[in-house]
Amino acid sequence: MTTLNASASPAARRTVRPIPQGRNRFERAMWLFMRFSGLALLFLALSHFGFQHIIVGTHRLTSEDTIVRWGLAGESITISQLFWRLYYGVMVLLAMLHGLNGLRQVAYDYLKNKTVYNAFMAAAAVLILAVTTMGVIALIVGVNASGATAAITR
Amino acid sequence: MSALISTVRASLSYRGREGHWLWLLHRVSGLGVLLFLILHVAGMSSAFISIEIHDRLLEMYKTPLFSIGELALAFGLIFHAVNGTRIAILELKPELWQKQQLATRLAIIIVVLLAAPTIIIMALGSINAFFGPAAGH
Ligand code: HEM
Ligand code: HEM
Repeated sequence: MTTLNASASPAARRTVRPIPQGRNRFERAMWLFMRFSGLALLFLALSHFGFQHIIVGTHRLTSEDTIVRWGLAGESITISQLFWRLYYGVMVLLAMLHGLNGLRQVAYDYLKNKTVYNAFMAAAAVLILAVTTMGVIALIVGVNASGATAAITR
Repeated sequence: MSALISTVRASLSYRGREGHWLWLLHRVSGLGVLLFLILHVAGMSSAFISIEIHDRLLEMYKTPLFSIGELALAFGLIFHAVNGTRIAILELKPELWQKQQLATRLAIIIVVLLAAPTIIIMALGSINAFFGPAAGH
């Protein structure tokens, strides 16, 4: 039940967005997903950002450290490497789906032409799902250092 | 296209209170972080193809342009995370709705408390890397 004037801008209508009522199960599920994935990302994304910037520091990032955390392809992985891969795996899946659904909400507000909206979302979904797949493959396979120089693998 | 322009104009000129600016900033920061995330995961996942590509991309993270851009990323990520948490808590607990003003102020204070030291530490790290005694090594 909304008391807001339908001619108000989308901004006015969207400042508070209550849980979608009625039988639209997909929108209800997505509404809940945005909130709970957001709360999980609060810890995952902020801890990752803080780790890479405050603890390591951008200017001290090295590929060797990534090899230590992720492990090499073809070698058996250690407990700590398993932890890092699961951590990044959960983060990449939640962040990408959260971002894709967020993008859908934004596109829905601005792209009023249905054909334009559908074409845009199809392209965005293909791109995002392709990159997510790459990210997950990297975490399953591990790092390939076979062609690397000694300076990187040490 | 004209619908797009008029909606964007309406969003920019709508005179709501803080809530409207928070909403707009939430949207812009979410899109910005998503753009970074797509490029970032495409780059970091290249490690499974060849660590040398990954290594070359990591070196790009140490250039002046990236060092400036990542300050905006830090603010955007922290703002979106804290404000998103405010939204989620308020909407999952409607009994807190009388306290919206307090929640808004609290969120702004927490963003400043988290973002200011983060940005200062990052900026000092970059200044040291580019101009400090070990610069160029
Ligand atoms: C760090 C913790 C995060 C929290 C707590 C969070 C929370 C939220 C919430 C609750 C919404 C729904 C807002 C609404 O329906 O009005 C939202 C929207 C959104 N989020 Fe996040 N989020 C987080 C991280 C991210 C990340 C990492 C990305 C990028 C991949 C992202 C991109 C977006 C986008 C594009 C929207 C749509 C904005 C809109 O509809 O105006 N968020 N976020
Ligand atoms: C400029 C800031 C950032 C830096 C320097 C950084 C650094 C890194 C590094 C070095 C890795 C490789 C893994 C490792 O060595 O531990 C990585 C992976 C990853 N990062 Fe970041 N990160 C940044 C920001 C972010 C943000 C804001 C997000 C999320 C919204 C994010 C999400 C991820 C994900 C999901 C992976 C795993 C990629 C995959 O599965 O292939 N990063 N990051």
